[in-house]
Amino acid sequence: MNHLIEYRNIVISLSGKLILNVNQLAVPSHRCTLLTGKNGSGKTTLFKIMSGLLKPHSCSIHYQGLDLSWKQAKHFIQKDIIYLHQQPYLFDASVVDNIAYGLYRAGENKTNAHKKVIQALEWADLSHLAHRSAKQLSGGEKQRVALTRARILSPRLLLLDEPTASMDTDAKKQTSLLLQRLKAEGISIIVSSHEAQTIEEIADHHFHLEQGDIIKAPAKSNKITKLNLAKKMQ
Amino acid sequence: MNDLSQASASAFHLLLSGNSEIWEIISLSFGVSFSAILIATPFALLIAFVLAFFKFPFRRALISLFNTFMSVPAVIIGLSLYLILSRSGPLGDLRLLFTSKAMIIGQIMLSFPLLVAMAHASFQAADRRAWETAITLGARPFRALFTLMYEVRFGLIAAVVAGFGRVVAEIGCSMMVGGNILHSTRNIPTAIALETSKGEFAQGIALGMVLLVLSLGLNAGVSIFQGKGDLHT
Repeated sequence: MNHLIEYRNIVISLSGKLILNVNQLAVPSHRCTLLTGKNGSGKTTLFKIMSGLLKPHSCSIHYQGLDLSWKQAKHFIQKDIIYLHQQPYLFDASVVDNIAYGLYRAGENKTNAHKKVIQALEWADLSHLAHRSAKQLSGGEKQRVALTRARILSPRLLLLDEPTASMDTDAKKQTSLLLQRLKAEGISIIVSSHEAQTIEEIADHHFHLEQGDIIKAPAKSNKITKLNLAKKMQ
Repeated sequence: MNDLSQASASAFHLLLSGNSEIWEIISLSFGVSFSAILIATPFALLIAFVLAFFKFPFRRALISLFNTFMSVPAVIIGLSLYLILSRSGPLGDLRLLFTSKAMIIGQIMLSFPLLVAMAHASFQAADRRAWETAITLGARPFRALFTLMYEVRFGLIAAVVAGFGRVVAEIGCSMMVGGNILHSTRNIPTAIALETSKGEFAQGIALGMVLLVLSLGLNAGVSIFQGKGDLHT
């Protein structure tokens, strides 16, 4: 299996408590990976370290054939990896301006950025919200805008923190559909979720975070467990 | 009552007739205060951001220090600066005492702690996700700071307006380091004090009206700007 990036020896303590001590985490390329773990197990912390937002005590990274320290790799990973918060933050601007934000930072001119944003809005079926204030959108709409804003930058890896938490069934379906499209486009995705059922349909791999370390769980583990239970019931 | 209405009428006349002395005082006052705020604001915002977003030794002590300096009387700042800038002081050779530059320095010292304390409160209330989102979307730290400042712009503007309000109306520091010299360092508050002591109320009232109009204008401007700053539902 090809790996997009490999993290080794991720160690971080917060307020004197050891949060993560991950021996090795290899991110499968062009695949969707489900990351599970109890509340407070360090999923968000892990994502922030992986995306270059939080400096760990130690971590080495193997990326694009190079062995780098976290500090050396920070610039590359911030460029190629996008992290989305559990409740994505949208800037106090229109949906269009939010989606264009990263394009402008990448040096895109206004005409090109506008064209790309229009295409991205159509892709996500968000054209009707283009000029709405981002702060006034519903939770599901915000999540879709945030996914579109990330996708437009063509990231190599998307880290999604509980993307379907506190959503109604329709919003979950729409978000799940976008995730499937992102995966089909070849973007590697790691999704942390309590609601494994929603994500398992898309996930190819399953990692579990326990006592600060990653345990590789068999793919579709929940489904398998449920099937076994059903058989036992019969 | 009659004296007051007569003085007020004369004050209006002075303002509307374009009395050069009055308008010179007004322009000096605004020039000095705008310069002070313009110089102090970028540094104050940067310090406020660092205090709110980064952890380092003595951070809390620094925050307490700025909060304490916020309420130091203008006359104490003026006295300290006078001693520093006077001939025998450490910066006496610069010959800044009784110049508008000394007034600007004094007003920077006065407004700085207020700007830092109020901006720090705004940054502290900001959502850290705004910073992280800007960074993860490719913004460099300096650009991300501007994005964050935009997100908390209402609080930051209130800080700048409060800072300007503090310096444009202060008298103690300007009097001590400026010396209230006509055509050179006389600003609105020192002129009001002088004219009132001479019993020339018309000029004092005219200048007082300018300060009142300024205060109303600034508050109206902030209110209009913050009109959209309601709670998002």
